[in-house]
Amino acid sequence: MTELKAGRGGEALGISRTGARSQRSRYGDVLIALAAFVVLASLPLLFGSKALLDFVIRCSAFGLFATSLNLLVGYTGLTSFGHGMFFGLGAYGYGLIMQRTGVPIPIAFVATLVITAVVATVIGAICVRLKEIYFAFVTLAFQMLIHSTILSWASLTGGDQGLRGGIPRPAFFGIDLSNHVHLYITSCALLVIGLLLMRQITQSPFGYTLRMIRDNATRASFVGIDVWRAKLTIFVLAALFASVGGIIMALFVSGAYPEFAYWTISGEGIFINMLGGVTTFLGPMVGTVLLLILNDTVTRLTEYYGIVLGIVILFFAIGLRKGLMDFAVEWYKQRRDSEKERG
Amino acid sequence: MDLDALTGCLASSACLVTQTTSGLIIGMLLFLVAVGLTLIFGVLKVVNFSHGAFYMFGAYFAMTAYQLTGSFALAMLCGAAGTAILGLVFERVFMSRVYGADVLMQLLVCYAFVLIFDDVVRMIWGPEFKSMGMPAAFQVVPLFIAGGVVPPYYLLLIGVALAAALVLGLGLARTRIGKVIRAAAHNPGMVSALGINTGLIYGGVFALGGGLAGLAGALAAPVRSLTPGMGFSVLIESFIVTVIGGMGSILGALIGALLIGLIRSFGSLGFPLFTEGLMYLFMVIVLVSRPTGLFGREVA
Amino acid sequence: MLEIRGLSKSFGGVKATDNVTLDFADGSLTAVIGPNGAGKSTFFNLVTGALKPDAGQILLNGVDLAGRTPPDIVRHGIGRAFQVASIFPSLTVEETMLAAVCADQRRAGVLHRRFPLAESRGRAEHAMELLGLASKRDRIAATLSHGDQKLLDIALALVLDPKVLLLDEPTAGMGTEERWRMIDKVRELWEKQKITVVFIEHDMDIVFKIAPEIIVLCYGRILATGAPDAIRRNGAVIEAYLGTEHHTGAVA
Repeated sequence: MTELKAGRGGEALGISRTGARSQRSRYGDVLIALAAFVVLASLPLLFGSKALLDFVIRCSAFGLFATSLNLLVGYTGLTSFGHGMFFGLGAYGYGLIMQRTGVPIPIAFVATLVITAVVATVIGAICVRLKEIYFAFVTLAFQMLIHSTILSWASLTGGDQGLRGGIPRPAFFGIDLSNHVHLYITSCALLVIGLLLMRQITQSPFGYTLRMIRDNATRASFVGIDVWRAKLTIFVLAALFASVGGIIMALFVSGAYPEFAYWTISGEGIFINMLGGVTTFLGPMVGTVLLLILNDTVTRLTEYYGIVLGIVILFFAIGLRKGLMDFAVEWYKQRRDSEKERG
Repeated sequence: MDLDALTGCLASSACLVTQTTSGLIIGMLLFLVAVGLTLIFGVLKVVNFSHGAFYMFGAYFAMTAYQLTGSFALAMLCGAAGTAILGLVFERVFMSRVYGADVLMQLLVCYAFVLIFDDVVRMIWGPEFKSMGMPAAFQVVPLFIAGGVVPPYYLLLIGVALAAALVLGLGLARTRIGKVIRAAAHNPGMVSALGINTGLIYGGVFALGGGLAGLAGALAAPVRSLTPGMGFSVLIESFIVTVIGGMGSILGALIGALLIGLIRSFGSLGFPLFTEGLMYLFMVIVLVSRPTGLFGREVA
Repeated sequence: MLEIRGLSKSFGGVKATDNVTLDFADGSLTAVIGPNGAGKSTFFNLVTGALKPDAGQILLNGVDLAGRTPPDIVRHGIGRAFQVASIFPSLTVEETMLAAVCADQRRAGVLHRRFPLAESRGRAEHAMELLGLASKRDRIAATLSHGDQKLLDIALALVLDPKVLLLDEPTAGMGTEERWRMIDKVRELWEKQKITVVFIEHDMDIVFKIAPEIIVLCYGRILATGAPDAIRRNGAVIEAYLGTEHHTGAVA
């Protein structure tokens, strides 16, 4: 069985890991986040295009999902094929709570996260003790189980039609999510905050514990780390961010559909990580934007979207063998090194 | 959930026979697909996520051959041989580049081909459901066993699959080629050092695995409808079968396939909407108690 | 004070470790030798928790550590370096040290602060200096030479402030000169840190020159223990390990 060599320093993807080197402080990251938010928030003023806003909202949903997946894959070496289940849980959880109970949106939001945390803890406790490819299989199995349950429990979930009838959007704190611009700003805020929090996780001592586990879990336990607990913790944390992505999606389409829990979401998550690169923090974000652009342009040009996407994947997997951000970072480093040599 | 239908059936011998036969052919078809998957994993250490495509091509090749020649035997042959060649080419040109790479990388290459193959089929044969129809030779009166209906074609299918299983099992255990393949699974470096072309072995195993899946598709063509997405659900199920049975174990693939086939057929009586869910639940239960599957071995 | 009492482990029918009873005095330096398959690494695995013993006790200052998990045993003060350097390839030398100290300080799960924690710097710095790796602090571990990786491996064990340090073939894979440098370093560390050191070694020249105390294992059992002279003259050892043809003069 091929070992998941991400556990050996990321060499399998042909990249030397450079992400850990940045010494940017917490405040630096917060400033960048604020600047990004300001830029995003001003887009509706500069451009009147609804399509652009929709695009950014979708990027927020998938970007959070893909980045959370990278917490597992890139930083801990846990390749989950079933991460999409939490995206779906977020969408359905939030949708159901809003439809069935009259609670305000913030409460529904928190409640969804709590439900996700509970489910993730149970599933994670079963899965994380398994080795590599078996972990991947079982997470996939759980996801498909959840998907099947969503499909068959029609009385609760609407079956293959999904949650119909729209999701109520009562105003809260003066924010009205049925207003498109409000929805847009909220999505951007969730994205930026989510990324900031995930960034803090990766740059915290816990983040380095994860890297140690990824590189050499045996040695990590000989350093005194409880590997199982660390893996379970990150599994649950990643699930939470994935489900926020699902909530954004549910808000955006005002519903929830079984596709949100289908394994193709997990597959796209993995593909996004490959496209953007797993060794940088923002790689998955870049990958998300790329995939969505690819999605939109190709479906507009041809009905044979599959072939185009397939060829693009092959290009990255066999040709480049690394993600875009990895490529960019390596190119930058090479330029810097050769300039140093030239003196 | 319709437990009465289930218990009612278990009590009636006619229903029992019908459902069991139906479960058997589902299982046998799955076995042919899954055994290829498990073989490829056992020898090449690669999980071939595009395996469903071979099943699909087997069906389409068979249908076209039958439409052109009217010969059932030729159709089966085309189905199996065509996909065997496809498997060989696929392995030599693409898969051989990602051996030793991350599972991620292999998954992506296979995922890419699933997308490409599905569209290719759509382009050549069109997206609508197609059917091959039952060949004249088998349009006969079904057999009645203990009151249950058993189409003779089903018996042929089961027979062919069992024969394939036997040949495969004996072939790997007794023949020289079989020994070489098993050796290559354990220690490719050594095999290569002995002067045996491991590339040929790998290509051969892929051709064999693909060909078996293609055979399954060809056998299924008279009794299933053909559509570009058909490889997909078969892939997921054969995946479940291999994982339950144990990656790399032929016996495991057989037992696993039969179990899944029976769960499907009886399960669809009692749990018509949750039949898939039953399979996944079963997979979860098996994996949690025995991560390597029922007959699997820990691969280092 | 490390006391081993009746330690046993079998695999199938094979007794990898057979009723081993030993005492390691505080601050002692002991070499464990024996032919291949004698059970030396198994012994280390049992003491460090990588394997669970079938029977026996492992008493560190009176506390029985047999059968506990590796993190637990490490916490109690038994450290181990590996035959094949077991390090974190993608981290730099400095990050490796800092992360290890952080884990030892029970801060491996801290989420709200940024790495590296200020309180980890002292010990990490000290360990790097001890092993002579301070000048290579920014090198990514995977890019280090084989010898440096072994040093890093030892540093990873030392930085946790162990009471007992087990070194599994510290000179494995090295040329003669490099080997002596490594073993000198080991001796230097032992003298400076005043900890109990036990090391597995195959090079007899080194063993008889360096170790005040030698244990000979064979087929999982203790064949002999004692000072180098006694071992050199021990008939059973000569026969079983050095070979009846071997001239004892060659190992002087």
